[in-house]
Amino acid sequence: MTPNAATRQRLAFMSRIVDKEVRLLLDTRRRLFTPDMNAQRLQALESDPVLADRIEAFVSRFWRLQDTVGDKLLPLTLAALGEKVGPFADNLDRAERLGWIASSDAWFAMRALRNQMVHEYVEDPQLLWQAIVAGSQFTDDLVRAALALIDEGRRRGWLDANPPGPAV
Amino acid sequence: MRLSPAQQQWIRDAVAASFGPSARVRLFGSRVDDSARGGDVDLLVELDSPVQHPVRLAAELAGRISRRMHGRKVDVLIAAEGLSEQPIHAVARREGILL
Repeated sequence: MTPNAATRQRLAFMSRIVDKEVRLLLDTRRRLFTPDMNAQRLQALESDPVLADRIEAFVSRFWRLQDTVGDKLLPLTLAALGEKVGPFADNLDRAERLGWIASSDAWFAMRALRNQMVHEYVEDPQLLWQAIVAGSQFTDDLVRAALALIDEGRRRGWLDANPPGPAV
Repeated sequence: MRLSPAQQQWIRDAVAASFGPSARVRLFGSRVDDSARGGDVDLLVELDSPVQHPVRLAAELAGRISRRMHGRKVDVLIAAEGLSEQPIHAVARREGILL
């Protein structure tokens, strides 16, 4: 099945967004996990606004990429392939079968982790540290899934179908 | 309590699978209130021994339960030896219903 021009255009647009979000997330993670970063530094978070902002940026980008991939790029890619688009969990199961994500259960765990990474809610610095480290590990899976989906569209030539804008 | 007997049973099973048969689980928060509607599922898991990687285990458990509840938001709080006791733990113990 070849998706129509409007679907290809949406897919190309969403792939560009996801590609950008991947780069921003990886860049934020690199700036957060400097060699001197550790659980002790989280104890003084209230007097370290720069670090608090970095954590905030990492968590929100981790969060956003999950949503853009899971709620937008995945259903769009499934639809473009002529696969049934259903409830979120069903879409994840299809993504697992198609080899785009490692495990749909792990995806749900990654979503559940998000609340444990919000530093205003988590009062125990050790737990916050563990959550951020787990988020960093999940980031690798998330980025792999995002790139696998983009690659699927690219291999099929769907992302080149972006028609040029009006001539000026 | 707004969880069906079947939901309570598979929550108990999921907790036992993640944390062993001696783990206790309490439901607290808005789901305890029979007059409310919908809402997140807040769980306190109490353990008698220390646990490695509590955050990751809590996220995995919350993810599994969330999936069974069609993506509804689930928060899992853990109380165990070696983990600091926060005010929310006391609230969860006071209000929580043992499943």
